[in-house]
Order: sequence, then C-alpha cells, then structure tokens
Amino acid sequence: MIKSRVTRIERQTPTVVTLFFKWDQKVLPGQFIMVWAPGVGEVPMSLSHTDGEKGITIKSYGPTTEAIIKTKKDEYIFFRGPYGKPFVQSHGKKLIIGGGSGMASLRPLIDMDSYGVISARNKSEILFPSLFSPGKAVIMTDDGTAGKKGYPVDALKEMDLNKFDMIYVCGPEMMLNTVFQYIRDKGCKAEFSLERLMKCGIGVCDSCSISGFQLCRDGPVFDLNTLNNMEEFGRWKLTESGRRVKIGT
Amino acid sequence: MKTEENNLINPNLSSKGLDIDQKLTSQVYPMVDISVNIKGLKLDNPLILASGILDENGYTMKSILDHGAGAVVTKSIGMEERTGYRPPVVAEVNGGLLNAVGLPNPGIENFGEEVKIALKAGKPVIGSIFGSNTEEFLHLAKKMETYGAKAIELNLSCPHVKGFGSEVGSDPDLVEDIVKELKEKIKIPVFAKLSPNVTDIVEIAKAADRADALVLINTVRGMAIDIYARKPILTNTYGGLSGRSIKPVGVRYVYEVKKETGKTVIGVGGISDCTDALEYIMAGSSAVQIGTALYTEGKDVFNRISDDLRNYMKAEKFETVEEMVGVAL
Repeated sequence: MIKSRVTRIERQTPTVVTLFFKWDQKVLPGQFIMVWAPGVGEVPMSLSHTDGEKGITIKSYGPTTEAIIKTKKDEYIFFRGPYGKPFVQSHGKKLIIGGGSGMASLRPLIDMDSYGVISARNKSEILFPSLFSPGKAVIMTDDGTAGKKGYPVDALKEMDLNKFDMIYVCGPEMMLNTVFQYIRDKGCKAEFSLERLMKCGIGVCDSCSISGFQLCRDGPVFDLNTLNNMEEFGRWKLTESGRRVKIGT
Repeated sequence: MKTEENNLINPNLSSKGLDIDQKLTSQVYPMVDISVNIKGLKLDNPLILASGILDENGYTMKSILDHGAGAVVTKSIGMEERTGYRPPVVAEVNGGLLNAVGLPNPGIENFGEEVKIALKAGKPVIGSIFGSNTEEFLHLAKKMETYGAKAIELNLSCPHVKGFGSEVGSDPDLVEDIVKELKEKIKIPVFAKLSPNVTDIVEIAKAADRADALVLINTVRGMAIDIYARKPILTNTYGGLSGRSIKPVGVRYVYEVKKETGKTVIGVGGISDCTDALEYIMAGSSAVQIGTALYTEGKDVFNRISDDLRNYMKAEKFETVEEMVGVAL
C-alpha cells in the first residue's frame, strides 16, 4: 500500500470534495488508483489532478467513500496504483462530456481549446464548470436545477460534432451508451471511460469485465471501434455476486 | 515513491525462454504433441485456467480459451448467491498475491448462461463447485453437467470462508463420501482440489481416492499488515497466497502425493512460465493450472508456455506430455 499525507482539501460542491496529496509518480489522465480506508473498504478513484500535485475528487456514496471524504489535512490516505490505460491525448478542439463524478477523470484534459457538456442529477453535483473558457460549457441536469433540463445527448443534438478533433466521454454506462449510439456513425473520433463495479483493480477478479476485456487493465478507456465490438456494452453487467443483469434495471 | 507494489505492477517476470538451440527449434515439428487426455477430458494443451481468476463472466472465460488455454475452470459456484467480502479482496505482496474474495458467486441457478457463453470457444469448461455437504455437492455437480461442463472440480480447499472449502476438505470421511456419491451419479470426470493447509495431505488424497484426478494445491493461508495503517490489509484479515512464491510448495505436494498414491494429478501454484509447468509435470502432474500469472504475464501466458513447451520437447526428444509426467519421481 502506498501512503501520502493530504496536503489540502478543496470543496467543489456541497457534496463533493477534492483531496490533494504528494505522489512522485507519473500518472496520465484517465488512470485510477484503488483508495483504501483502513478497516472500512477500498474503492477505485480516477485522479482528477495528474500533474505535479495529485488529487482525487470524491462524493460520498457508501461507507468507504464516506470514510475517505472525512480524511483531514496532514492525515494519510492509503492507495495502490496507478492502474488502467489512459486517454490518448489529442491536440486541437476537444469536446469533453462528463456525467456526474465522471467529470473527475476528464478534468485533467480540459484546456483552452476544450468545449464541455457537464451533466449531473442536480445542481449540487455539477463539477468544474469554471475550468472551461466562458461560453464553452453547456450544463445539463436531470432535474433542471442548473443549466438545461435533460441529458448530455440532448446537448449534442444542437452541436456540429465534426468541428471537434476528439470527443472524450466519462460517466455512468447508460449515459455513455446514449452518447455512443448518437455519435457512432457520425465519423467522430471518440474515447469513452467506463465505470463498472471493480474489486481487485489488477485484472484477476473478473468483476469489472465487459465482453472479455478487463476494465481495470484493458480500460477503463476504450475507443469507438472497441465499444462497437462489445456485445455487453450498454446491455449487460454482472452484480457484486457475479449475477448477470440488464443495465438500467 | 517506489514501493514493492509498484515494482509488481510491471514486473520483469516474462517467460525467459529455455536454454535450447533456437536453430533446432525454429522449424515446425509435427511429431511433438502437447495434447493431453485426463481421464476422458481431452485438452489441446495441458494448460488450464485455475479457478478464481477471470472466470466469473462467460465472455471472459471465452476470451481466455481464445487466448490459448486448453480449458478453463469456472469460479467456484455454490447453492446460493453470495456477494463475497468487501474490498480490499486482494493485496499485492512480494512474489504473488494474497486474496480473500469470499466465494462471490451468482448461485448455481444463475450460472448456466456464463457456461454457455464460454463454451462458444469450442473448448472444455470445468465447473468448480463448493458446498457444505454431500447433497449440495451432488446437486451442484448435476447442474454443471447439465450446463455443459466437461468435468467437475470440487473446491475442498478455499482457505477463507467458514463452513466451506477447506473446512469440508479437511474432513477425510466427508471428502470420501462426497467423491463416492458424485462418482456414482455423475458421468463427467470429477477432480478434487485439495488444500495445502492441512497436517497430512496424503490422508485427504487417499480419502478422495475415487476422484478421477486430484488438483494440487489451493492457496497457502497468509496475511499482510500495513504498518502505517496498523491494520490487516484484507477485509477478511486472512487470505490465500498464490503466485511464484508458492511454487516450491506446490511442486513438493504434487511429488509427495503422486509418489504415495499414484493418482492422476493436476498441478497448480505459481506457474508463470514453461519451466514452472515442466517442474510440476515432472513431479507427477498430467496437466497444470495457471492463475496468478494472468496478473503478472497477461493472457498471452498460455500461448507462450505452449510454444516453449513444444520447443523443449523437441530439443529433449519427448513426443508427448505423458512421457514427461512424473519422470523426476
């Protein structure tokens, strides 16, 4: 287990915080670590800050994230990694589409040439809108409490996607699938970072697998062509026990 | 910050190849045959995916078979759905992995689809099952047979779940009864996977005498503590050690059991290259299983070992794997 003291804490929204720490390790956007709350549990977390100072941006959704989010300045965080294949970094105009905490892994890709579609369930979960240049980010919420009411794909329908050199997408699989279905035949270049239940993080336990690929090792980032050949993408997943269920049920 | 864990993520453990004349072996040698027949279970090659690694999802098992495994053993499946332990379920340690996953499985009723998907690869799937008594093992085995499994592997050795695995496997009378019942009522071969965490493995091996083959060994019980968190790393505290560090232990158990019982043995424990596989074969294994090497070597490990095995056999003038089984005894 690697350990590092939290150097500072930044509150992003009422429910989301970023913990910063020093880690002298090359990490690329899209890669993740397994963060351990001793005696509580372990969760995969994308790094929201990959240059110099490292950071993870967390929302509490269970006992382990609740314990991690309570870490104070100068206390240790414990983790292992970095794991996974990063995004292929592209020059030129980028479109960044993030759903909920999916924005955390996309954050290091945001630059002056980036346009954003930031979506979340409600206003308190919209992440990093101010990092985009003025007028370059569209906000979508499920309940309409910020930006427009609707889903990322609704925003895409009003855009000319061919002006982008690369599209990066991260979020829940249902959302990824809707975006994927919309852009798959539009001749765009795109990469998707998938989220699935993950236990080991190192390609042995089979929990996060999708159509023979291990998300933790072969992913979590996949290109359009690879997704096209994944029978399970957007359709089936395995639960914590390994029971096959339809996505969205 | 360099840590042991980091070193293990990309270890330089790839197959070193064998010390043989490449000029001699670079041609195709049709007379070398690496297929094996384990009591009626025919395999293209003697390399089987071990239970517990990448074998919960049918698509993953199919992918492993497509990557050159001779067969796959499924994750151990029980009567009821179990979620297993909360992560951390693995800890990366020097020379291998510690795991306590907690037998997560969807329950036998929900597993047929995964076997069906895996069988699309056109190679054998071996159904691993765990129960707490003879009736449960029989029910599970019959279901696996119906699903199309080509053999049954009895998990008599999981080291970290109460009431199952090694708690069943360390009771010779119960082992004998389970194996006897299954052999009478199941048509496909029955393999018994035994634990090294017992005082006398030969006694258990003899109790499982009616099994078609013994699978040796399951993981070695162990644990790891983080000295800064001052706590055990695994949620379950205790786990099973696998990987390179347990290979000498496994080879010794295979050798001892083969020598004492003469039974057909499938060797498993820390095999990550052809030399490891050959050590197990020469100690008495008719086939071998590979698990943790998927983490260090990736899925190509199967084809790599098959190639190296053919090259070794040609250079050392063996025509079949069977000729090498137990030659060190």
